[in-house]
Amino acid sequence: MTPWPPLLALLIVVPLTGAVITPVVGRTRAVRSADWSLGVMLATSVIALVLVVQVARVGPFSYVVGGWVAPYGIELRFDEFGAVIAVICLLGTLAMVFSRRYAAQAMAEQRIPYYYALLLLNLTGMIGFAVTGDLFNLFVFMEILSLSGYALVAVSGEKIAEMAAFKYLVMGAISSLVILLAIGILYALTGSLNMADVTGRLAGAPAAPLAVAFGALTLGFMVKAAAFPLHIWLPDAHAIAPSPVSAILSGLVVKVGIIGMLRVYQIAYGSGAVDMRALNHVLMWLGALSIVMGAFFAVFQDDIKMMLAYSTISNIGYIIMGLGLASSYGMIGASVHVFNHAIIKATLFLGAGALIFQTGKRTLTDLAGVGHAMPWTVAAISVGAISIVGIPPTAGFVCKWYIALGAVQAGHPFFAFALVFGALFIFIYYIRMVNAFYFRQPRDPAILEVTEAPASMLVPVLILASLCLIMGVMGSLPLSFIEPAVQRLLLPLGGG
Amino acid sequence: MEVVDARAALAPAISLVCAALVFASADNTFWRRFFSIAAALAKLVIVMSMLPGSLRGVVYTFNLVEFTEGVGLAFRADALGMFFSVVSSTLWLVTTIYAIGYMEREPNRRRFFGFFALCVSTTVGVAFAENLLTMFLFYESLTICTYPLVIHDETPEAMKAGRKYLIYTLTGGAFVLLGSIVTYQLAGTMTLSQPGILPLAAGRTTLTMLFVALIAGFGVKAAIMPLHGWLPSAMVAPTPVSALLHAVAVVKVGAFGILRTIYNIFGVALLRELGVCTWLAGLAAFTILAASVVAIFQDNLKRRLAFSTISQLSYIVLGASLLTPLAATAAIVHIANQAFAKITMFFVAGSIQRTTGKTTVHELAGIGFRMPYTMAAFTVAALSFIGVPLLAGFVTKWYLSLGALEAGEWWYALVMLASALLNAAYWLPVVYTAFFKTEPTAEVEVHEAHWTMLGPTLVCAVFVIFLGATVSVPGMPFALASAAVKFVFGM
Amino acid sequence: METEATRSLLPLAAFLLPLAGAVLTLPLRKISARVRDITLLALTALCASVAVWLAAHVAGGEVYETYLLQLTPDIWMYLRVDALGALFGATVAVLWMLALVYSWGYMAEGHRLGRYYSFFMLSLAWTMGVAYSGNLLTFLIFYELFSILTYPLVVHEQTPEAMAAGTKYIIYILVGGSLVLLAIVLTYFAAGDQTLTTGGILSADIGQQRLFAIFWCYIAGFGVKAALVPLHGWVPDAHPAAPAPFSAVLSGVMVAAGSFGIMRVLFQVFGVELLREMGVMSMVTILAGFTVLFAAVLAVNQDNLKRRLAYSTISQMAYVVLGVSLLGSDSTIGAIIHVTNHAFMKGGLFLCAGLFIRRLGVHRVSQLDGAAKRMPVTAAGFAIAALGMIGTPPLSGFVSKWYLGLGMLETGNPLLLVVLLGGALLAAIYLLPIVYRMYFREPVLTADDKVTTEGREAPASMLVPLVIVTLLTIALGLGASLPGMPVSLARMAAETFFH
Repeated sequence: MTPWPPLLALLIVVPLTGAVITPVVGRTRAVRSADWSLGVMLATSVIALVLVVQVARVGPFSYVVGGWVAPYGIELRFDEFGAVIAVICLLGTLAMVFSRRYAAQAMAEQRIPYYYALLLLNLTGMIGFAVTGDLFNLFVFMEILSLSGYALVAVSGEKIAEMAAFKYLVMGAISSLVILLAIGILYALTGSLNMADVTGRLAGAPAAPLAVAFGALTLGFMVKAAAFPLHIWLPDAHAIAPSPVSAILSGLVVKVGIIGMLRVYQIAYGSGAVDMRALNHVLMWLGALSIVMGAFFAVFQDDIKMMLAYSTISNIGYIIMGLGLASSYGMIGASVHVFNHAIIKATLFLGAGALIFQTGKRTLTDLAGVGHAMPWTVAAISVGAISIVGIPPTAGFVCKWYIALGAVQAGHPFFAFALVFGALFIFIYYIRMVNAFYFRQPRDPAILEVTEAPASMLVPVLILASLCLIMGVMGSLPLSFIEPAVQRLLLPLGGG
Repeated sequence: MEVVDARAALAPAISLVCAALVFASADNTFWRRFFSIAAALAKLVIVMSMLPGSLRGVVYTFNLVEFTEGVGLAFRADALGMFFSVVSSTLWLVTTIYAIGYMEREPNRRRFFGFFALCVSTTVGVAFAENLLTMFLFYESLTICTYPLVIHDETPEAMKAGRKYLIYTLTGGAFVLLGSIVTYQLAGTMTLSQPGILPLAAGRTTLTMLFVALIAGFGVKAAIMPLHGWLPSAMVAPTPVSALLHAVAVVKVGAFGILRTIYNIFGVALLRELGVCTWLAGLAAFTILAASVVAIFQDNLKRRLAFSTISQLSYIVLGASLLTPLAATAAIVHIANQAFAKITMFFVAGSIQRTTGKTTVHELAGIGFRMPYTMAAFTVAALSFIGVPLLAGFVTKWYLSLGALEAGEWWYALVMLASALLNAAYWLPVVYTAFFKTEPTAEVEVHEAHWTMLGPTLVCAVFVIFLGATVSVPGMPFALASAAVKFVFGM
Repeated sequence: METEATRSLLPLAAFLLPLAGAVLTLPLRKISARVRDITLLALTALCASVAVWLAAHVAGGEVYETYLLQLTPDIWMYLRVDALGALFGATVAVLWMLALVYSWGYMAEGHRLGRYYSFFMLSLAWTMGVAYSGNLLTFLIFYELFSILTYPLVVHEQTPEAMAAGTKYIIYILVGGSLVLLAIVLTYFAAGDQTLTTGGILSADIGQQRLFAIFWCYIAGFGVKAALVPLHGWVPDAHPAAPAPFSAVLSGVMVAAGSFGIMRVLFQVFGVELLREMGVMSMVTILAGFTVLFAAVLAVNQDNLKRRLAYSTISQMAYVVLGVSLLGSDSTIGAIIHVTNHAFMKGGLFLCAGLFIRRLGVHRVSQLDGAAKRMPVTAAGFAIAALGMIGTPPLSGFVSKWYLGLGMLETGNPLLLVVLLGGALLAAIYLLPIVYRMYFREPVLTADDKVTTEGREAPASMLVPLVIVTLLTIALGLGASLPGMPVSLARMAAETFFH
């Protein structure tokens, strides 16, 4: 039983329309735009939920917009990897709730409706990116989310924010161009833009252009994913953006690079025309390097959000390594980490946002002792910290376990070693954070007078923190969900 | 006979609940104490209720969550696990009572008791872990839960010690994780319910590397030299924590992990074939002697205790790595023997510190007249470490020496003797100073610690005597150790 | 000729009575010192009568045993009273009782008295355990306990010398104890847990090398306590430092416990035949013979009375080892009774030394001039004990030396008579001058002594034990051949050893 087919289309149409209308709704009173966009996100979430349940029951399905079949029409394709929309909607909704109080403080009132509109647009871009079956649309959605992302970074209007946004923009634009180039080559080779179609027609294509195309795609997506050393845009952008935006950017937007890579794999393995081994090797090393270097840079940060931004690089390293290992365990671990990391990182960024909102301070030195003043928020952050380091039984552990298992399975125990000890490195800076919050004497005693964050901020953070735990304890759920997709993906390799 | 029984999961869970309640009880002293003691009692009752069955050979299992096939959170209370959990839950109760007395005027008591309960929860989790993954999970959690206890005082010194502690133990944890992964890959399972799961076909080099990884991982907590660095610095923690760290939870979990690695993951037969245990035994013997030598030169009582712990723990490792039934018996019973004797000493050190403010050995002149019962307990423990017959330590020494002979490696029996003498060299001076040197101030008045501290101290000292005097101490069953050994050696 | 053992709680009582005393010491002091003293005496007297009763019945051919505790699944703590143990036990209990009474007068009331009495009683309990141990592990347990728990008694005075002596004591004893433990572990591994009844539990099958290792571990381990040269270092320091009543038991029975251990081990662990086969005993003989003479020569030069007596103990105890090492039945009888005889003689000498210290403030031999005039009874006791020590008939010392001499001839070692007689001669050289000084020199008075040279005799509570000990020395010599006397028990024991 397939769901009502246009549902897939609605998934994109609803938030897109919502985004366009938001400024109008919020024209008279900014707060209405918050209500409106929250409503839109809730509606989208319901649709997403139905779809995810569907894909879990019957497997991938697609919807051809307007009835035009491939290669001419626009195909929307929903598979297990696309289930990332569930997380997108979840984080989107929570970010909306969180923003109610946050945005009011962080930016001028007249900007608020545009902020929500951009947020919705950004989420739409990501949803579209996850469910499209068409290379060109992939590019289009990518641009939507990138452009709205640049704007969101700069939304506060401060000088430094604009600088960060500009850096982000330059890197983003270059990577988009590289990806566009690759899509062009693929189109030239196959005469189609539909991914399934391209996969089918690639066999027998000349090797040199193919190598350029896949190399370019990988390079582009790696920039988007901020793998070391292509990460330089990320720390500033993520640290300077408003916290809910940081949560979205760090939790979700970088994952666009990963989902893109998964699509690349689908095409490459599906067609059997491309030898990915060399590329895999590069990815493995890139992953290992990202883990270590991300952690290394994070150790020297005092700004809490900067620290979290660098930790994103490390965690993306996990995922990239998992992909590069190309073994079933590694792939499963990497795919699940796309979900889990999103949740964890959102916990941390939203928690950090709540701290900054309440105290007005953002360095560890200044925040010393805040754990006594804001116990719930800091407890949630601690859970997130434990989770991101991969201490069992939290969400982070499940993925770490699987990726490391994958490394051994693929015959690269060294990478298991790098992963496990990289995680240790990560712990060093998180423990600094926890130390500062709980165990250091406050630099300014006034911090002990700070009150707990308002409910609209606290509740999302707590929900996310408990998800960190739930996803760890119920770790089998996403794993078994994603497993058929990975098996399908690796089938051409002999089942992984 | 295996029985599915929720008690195997309930035992670790109850301390978890206790922790939650303690955190929730805000700063209400009464409820905090009530929950702490009630949970300790409840846990003891649960564990003890499983004991008769366990002695009959019943193994209680309980699968909590399954991640994927064969990998999940599962509990299994076999003889070895029961032994460990009986020891830890008994000691938890006494340590809790002691801690209530000790922490009377300390700040952050809620945090302290909350994490205290969590530590025990995770310890019993390790004891009852059915597979390596569950074990690792609790092993790591223990590391985290202990950290706030180590740095409880929040002094720069404590923070530094805490950092050192974390770096050491987390590195160890990483090795354990690595080992678990490779084990799973090689054996296709991670269960700890078999006497060995790895096939020799996996290749000698691989297996040796795996062994090294797992032993290094667990060895950090078991403080095998040269992985012991964290332990003496962690002495800055409040005394009940030190007691918990050194007698019950952290270090024993490491030693327990080594036992599991040797007996349940590799299995005795495979290890005999590989021959790696010779090196481990040598390392353990070195640790036993070297740590004792270092201990002689420590003036701070707690530091001396720390090095003594390092030395004593390697008894367990040595016993396990000799791969003979008698040595294995020694290794297992030493879990209890060391625990009770060492915790007695820590209690004493804490009582002295609280009552008189003294922390170094040379300050203790005449303390034996001031606190006669406390120091009597200390003397019993000290004699136990020296291996005086009728006390707990002797049983270990006896079995370990026999085990060494059984393995045909008689020189380890000499190590035992040398260690006994070294133990005498650093414990007897303490007793001597306490009882036979007079205090600078002539006025001597009996001034014992509060009963909440004195009571647990004496109880533990009595246990030290019981454990040495007879095999039939209620609730401290030698039979469990024998059963575990029989299972492991297929007898 | 194994007799069926009778289950009995009496051996346990002999052990528990003093233990109860040790526990009661502190609470009883709260009532009054007098109550404590009387209770302790009653308990010790009971213990002594139990021990004597047991000895009498064992002499009548009975053997008693008690199962005490299950230490491990395969090892019981097990008491068994045979001829050897019964004799030693009776000696221990009687001497201890006398020393206890003596302590009333000797020990001034002070805050350390509670410690003194309780450890005094504890030591008795453990030593009774050593005497009655039925297997090696039980033996080890009591042996270690009494070795370590006598430490507080050695350092009781807490003077710097006493502390130094105590440290020396504990180091020697722990090393020795460790060697014994090692030997017992090796034995257990080779032969399992067997009761000490048969003529040897080890067999030659376990290999010559291992047998030698076990043997020397035992000899060295017990040799520390038995003060065999060169393992004797602690003895001359510990004796002068300890309070006199404790010196008496230390010298009388505790050093003997080492010799007792050597006997147990040689005859009941190795067995005579195995030892002959191994051919190691001649080395022990040489060691013991050397100790006899060497220690005696050293004793001659000591001016400190208790120190001189300590060296005498080393020399005399080596007789026991010497007798045992010959592996002849007469020499063994001599060795066994010498333990008992020496206990009372040396006990008597130390009691006298204590009286000189307390009543005259005299520690040195050279200060004893004319002591007999001021303390006639004490001096007489000293003289008799000294004569016994030299081996003058008809005192008890003569009996043991007689048997030892017989044994030497029996086993074909007439040369050793030189050692025996040389030891006796040296004993005369180091003891008789003291007697001479006491009786025939004029007292040298110190400033506060000027007023009177009379009336310094000790109170009755201290004299009575001395008199009893002296009488025992005479009685054990005169009545040596009567039934029920030590000789008959020793003969029984020797018969079981030599079949």
